[in-house]
Amino acid sequence: MWSDFIIIGIYLALMFVAGIFFSRNIKNTADYFLAARSAPWFWIMGSVWATNIGFLHGYLAHGGAAYEWGLIQANFEWFQGPFGYILTGIFFIAFYWRASIYTVPQFLERRYGSGLSVVYSLAWIVIFIVTIAAEFYLGGIFLKNILHIPFWPTVLVLATVVGTYTLLGGLGAAIMMEFVQFIIMILGTMPLLFILLHMVGGIFGLKEVMLTQWGISPQYFTVLPDLHHPYGPGPWIILGQCFVVTLGWCAGHQSMVQRNLGARSIYDAKFGYVVAAIPKTLGAFLYSVPMVAAPIIFARSGIFVERADASYGKLILNLLPSGMLGLFIAGLLSAGLSSISSVLNSTSTMIVKDIYERFLVRGRSDHHYFIAGRIATFGIIAASLLLVPVVLKVYLIMWLEQTLIAMVLGPFMGVLMLAIFWRRTNATGSLVGFITGGIFAIFLQQGLGVRVFFQISWWSFVLTFFVTMVVSLLTEKPRLEQVEGMTWDSDFRSKVGLILEERAEKKGIKVTEISRGDLRRPPWYLNIKYWATAILLLQIVLLLFFG
Amino acid sequence: MRKIVFSLWLVSLFIFAGLTVAQERFNDVRQKVADSLTALKTSVSSGDFENAQKHLDQAVSIWESEVKPMIREGVKSNEQFREYFERMDEVDRRLANLSQMLKTQETRELESEVNAVIWGISHHPRGFNVPQPRYSTWDWVFGLGIGIGFCGLAVVFGLYLRKSYYRRYKRQGEDSVLKG
Repeated sequence: MWSDFIIIGIYLALMFVAGIFFSRNIKNTADYFLAARSAPWFWIMGSVWATNIGFLHGYLAHGGAAYEWGLIQANFEWFQGPFGYILTGIFFIAFYWRASIYTVPQFLERRYGSGLSVVYSLAWIVIFIVTIAAEFYLGGIFLKNILHIPFWPTVLVLATVVGTYTLLGGLGAAIMMEFVQFIIMILGTMPLLFILLHMVGGIFGLKEVMLTQWGISPQYFTVLPDLHHPYGPGPWIILGQCFVVTLGWCAGHQSMVQRNLGARSIYDAKFGYVVAAIPKTLGAFLYSVPMVAAPIIFARSGIFVERADASYGKLILNLLPSGMLGLFIAGLLSAGLSSISSVLNSTSTMIVKDIYERFLVRGRSDHHYFIAGRIATFGIIAASLLLVPVVLKVYLIMWLEQTLIAMVLGPFMGVLMLAIFWRRTNATGSLVGFITGGIFAIFLQQGLGVRVFFQISWWSFVLTFFVTMVVSLLTEKPRLEQVEGMTWDSDFRSKVGLILEERAEKKGIKVTEISRGDLRRPPWYLNIKYWATAILLLQIVLLLFFG
Repeated sequence: MRKIVFSLWLVSLFIFAGLTVAQERFNDVRQKVADSLTALKTSVSSGDFENAQKHLDQAVSIWESEVKPMIREGVKSNEQFREYFERMDEVDRRLANLSQMLKTQETRELESEVNAVIWGISHHPRGFNVPQPRYSTWDWVFGLGIGIGFCGLAVVFGLYLRKSYYRRYKRQGEDSVLKG
C-alpha cells in the first residue's frame, strides 16, 4: 500500500512543480488562454482526448453509468464521440481558427452580434461550474474508497493541485500536461481490461454468465437498445446525441475548441481533432467494457458497492496488486485533473473575454486581463467546491450533467448549423431561436417530465432550427461582413486566399508569384479525409460486433 | 475585505459539508457490514471460528440496528431504497444460514453465502431489469420516417448549398463576382 501512496505522491508533486515551471513563459493573455498558438497536431490530439476524458466523462461517471445500464454507455465512445470529433474537425474548426478568436461566443458574436454570445457564455459558465463540482465529487469519493482518507480533505487537495498549475500556467501548461497525462492514462489503465476479461472468460463468457445463468435483460449488452429503454433509447441516441449533443459538445464546448485554437496551423487544428477520435474509441475499452463485466466480479468476490458512481474505484481496489494500483490511480488522477484544468481554464477565458472585458471593465492593459483570468480561476474553484454537496444528492452524476448540457446544446446546434450553412440567418433570428429552444428544453424536462436527455436535445434543436429560420426570413438580411468568410459557401475562397498569402509571406514574394507546386497537399498518410474514413469504418465494425 | 470573503467562503463550505453527512451515512453503515463479513471470511480461512462468530455478530448487529431501520424509513420517501427493501428478507435468511454454518463449522458454502449477503446489500445495476426489446408498428413508422426524412433533408440541403455556392462564385472560366 505504501508503494501506491509513494507513486501517487510523486505524481501529484510533479504536476505541482510542472505548473510552476510552465508559468515562467506566460507573459500575456494570448500565452495564457491560447498557448501562444504553438501546439502541433499530436499535442492537440492528446489534449483534446485528455480534456474530454476525466472523472466525469470517462472512468468514474461513464464507468458508473456502464455498471448501471450496461454496454449502452459505450455508444459515447464507439459511435457518437468519433462522429462528433470528425465532423467538427472537418466542418467547424477551420472557421474558429481563422477567425482568431479566444472563445466560441466570440465566433457567435461576429456572426450574430453580442446578444446570443452573452446568453451562450452565461449558460456555459453555469454548466462548467457544475461540471467542476461533479469532477471534485467523483475524485473525492474515488480516493475516499481507494485510500480510505476522508472525503473533504481529498477534495481540497485535488482543488489545490489542479488550481495551482492551471492558475499559473494557463492553456500552455494545461496542453503539455494533458499530453503527458494522455500517455499515463492509457498505459496505466489498459491492464484492467485484460485482467477482467481473463477472469470472466472473455466477452462470450461474460454473456454466458449474465444472460443464461443470471437471466438478466439482453439490453444490458446492447449499444443501441430499443425505443423503450429508460436511459437511452437507440433511435434517440442517434438523433439527439449523435447529431446534436455530441456534435454540439465537440463544436461548442469551449474547453474542446480552445485546444484547437492553440494549434500552430489550421491543418494541425483539424488533423489533431480528427485523429483524437482514435483514443476516444479506445476509451470504451478502458472504462465501459470493464464495468459491464464488473457485477460478476462483485458478486463472486463479495465486494460491496454502495452506488454506481463508486463502482469503478471498488473494482480496481479489489483487483489490482499493490504498485500497479498506484500507477492506475496516477492514470486516473491524470484524467480527472486534466479535465478539471481545461474546464477551469475555459471558464476563466469566457468570464474574462466574454463578460469582464466586454461589459465590465473595458480598455485596460493586457496585463490587467491576464491577472483577472487568474482571479477568475480561483473564484471558479471556490464556487465549484460550494456546489459539491448539491451534486452529492444526485443518484447518477452522468444523468445530471448530460441533462444540463442537452438543454444548451440542442439550441446551440440549431443556431450554429444555420450560422455556417445558411447565409440568410441573422442576429434576431438566432437569438429568438436560441432562447425559444432553451425555454422549450426546460419545459420538456421540468414541465412534461421528459427524463431521456437525448429527446430533450433533439426537440429543442428542431424547434430552434425552425424558429431561427422563420424569424430570420421575417427580419432583415445580415450584413456582408457578418457572413463573408464565416459561412460554408464563402469559406473555400477565403481559405485558398489565406493559404496563398501565408505562403507568399514566408517566401517574401507577391501572392501572384506563388506557383502551383506551393499548393501541394500533405502526404496521403496525413490526409484528414483518409483518416476520417478509416475511423468511421472502425465504428461500423464495432457496432456490428456489439450491436 | 479579502479576509472577510475568504472566511465567509470557508464557513459556507463547512455548512454545506454538514448536509452531506446524512447522505454518506447509509453508505458507511452498509460498508461496515461488508467489512465485518469480509473479516469473517478471513477468520474462517485461518480456522479461528471464535473470532468469526464475533465478526458475524457485529455484522448482524449493524444490519439490525442501523441498516434495516434506514431502509424502512428511506423507502417511504425515496424510491432509491426500494431495491434494498426488496432484498431485506433474503439478507436475513442468508445471515441466519451463516450463523448455522459457524455453529456446525460446516464451511464449504460459507464463502459464497457471505458473498451473497454482501451482494445483497450492494447497489445492483438498473440495466439488469430493463424489459426485453419490444417494437410496435408506431416505432417502425417513427424510426423509418425520421431516418428517411433526415436523409432526404440532407440531400436537399446539400443541393441547395452547391447551388448557392456556384451562384456566388462562378465556375472556372466564368466571371467570379462576389455578391453580398
